[in-house]
Amino acid sequence: MTSHTGTGHSARRARPLLGTLVEVGVVEGLVHAHEAAFSAMAEVQSQLSRFEPASDVARFNALRANESLTVGEHALAVLAAARLLADQTGDAFDISLGTGPHGWRVEGDRLHKLKDGVTIDLGGIAKGYAVDRAVDALIAADCKAGWVNAGGDLRAFGDIDLPVTLRDEYGGGVRSFARLRDGAIATSRFGSSARSTLASPRAVEAHVSVAAPLCLWADALTKVLSISGDTAHPLLALHHAQGWLH
Amino acid sequence: MRVTLAALSASALVPASAFAVDYMNAEQAAKLMFPDADRFESRDLTLDAAQMQALAAQGVPARSQTWKAQVAHRGATTLGVVVVDEVVGKFELITYAVGIGSDGAVKQVEILSYRESHGHEIRLPAWRKQFVGKTPASTLQVGEDIANISGATLSCKHVTDGVKRIVHVVDVAKRAGALG
Repeated sequence: MTSHTGTGHSARRARPLLGTLVEVGVVEGLVHAHEAAFSAMAEVQSQLSRFEPASDVARFNALRANESLTVGEHALAVLAAARLLADQTGDAFDISLGTGPHGWRVEGDRLHKLKDGVTIDLGGIAKGYAVDRAVDALIAADCKAGWVNAGGDLRAFGDIDLPVTLRDEYGGGVRSFARLRDGAIATSRFGSSARSTLASPRAVEAHVSVAAPLCLWADALTKVLSISGDTAHPLLALHHAQGWLH
Repeated sequence: MRVTLAALSASALVPASAFAVDYMNAEQAAKLMFPDADRFESRDLTLDAAQMQALAAQGVPARSQTWKAQVAHRGATTLGVVVVDEVVGKFELITYAVGIGSDGAVKQVEILSYRESHGHEIRLPAWRKQFVGKTPASTLQVGEDIANISGATLSCKHVTDGVKRIVHVVDVAKRAGALG
């Protein structure tokens, strides 16, 4: 394999993707690995964003009751995780956003709409999944260590302790939070923007962060923690995750 | 997975600090977007009043009358153009480059730098000026330099709006013959 290092590129690159800024960092590896990581995320976006008319999600949302469509591997993986989380939270985790948590069903590689008006939005889980796919792409491109940060849903891999800072959503600036090794951290927010019908038990705490081995679970479990306000929630341990309110 | 917390119990008491990352400079972005180019020519795209009005009528206010562009050439062929712009969010200043091919379509968008302030000085010209001419870090240092932000509301809407604006500006300049 030819090395393309030394062409003056920084080891960090960033692009607008997934509705946010996505940074890809490579400690050791080929420069074209960045491209592979961005491509992997663009592919997930094209299949799972409800704003892309040709995506599996947009096509499902346009279906009528009792219709179905064949979906790709990305949709199958994220929908399986979403169903598991819905079952484990008594439907509090709901990708239908109230339009019908049991209004969709996957059979084989087909996604069925069970009643009219059901729409899904994978925004609460797909970003983390896309980060995981980007990390896979970096590893496949022979990167020994690096990280991917999609607007705060981030994962590090390999021999690196990644300093993680938290953004102050009210006053600006950042604060040191943790060092992350071989895992993922995601941060979400309580309050009106949280997908929760339950009030925060401790209103002064505005943010939740979750660390988990995979970014999909870190991303999704921030929603579970936002809903429950419980850092000892059994789902966190079940997915080998840790949560913080701050 | 290993997570080592940095004085978390006191995190609310730790003063917030500014944050900045340089990814690449405009020349590096241009070479990355047009690797086949054998030369880049700097050119100002200047819109006249009628062109500004036409853009505003399309719902894309041009915001600035003059845009700095690098035109990518290979021999006698024009491959495309790279325009650098910056946008200001609530607390962040983002400099980015847009590469547009000769067909007028966006080829690539790269973030050149990201700066986050710990206050509203992000809107002050003096605060922003301190970064002008700063060269990007080309080597990676494992340490605080590579800190990553985890936050809930970082949106790229300003950037996507900016990209749209640049596409229109370049289109107007092209039709006026300013890109040769």
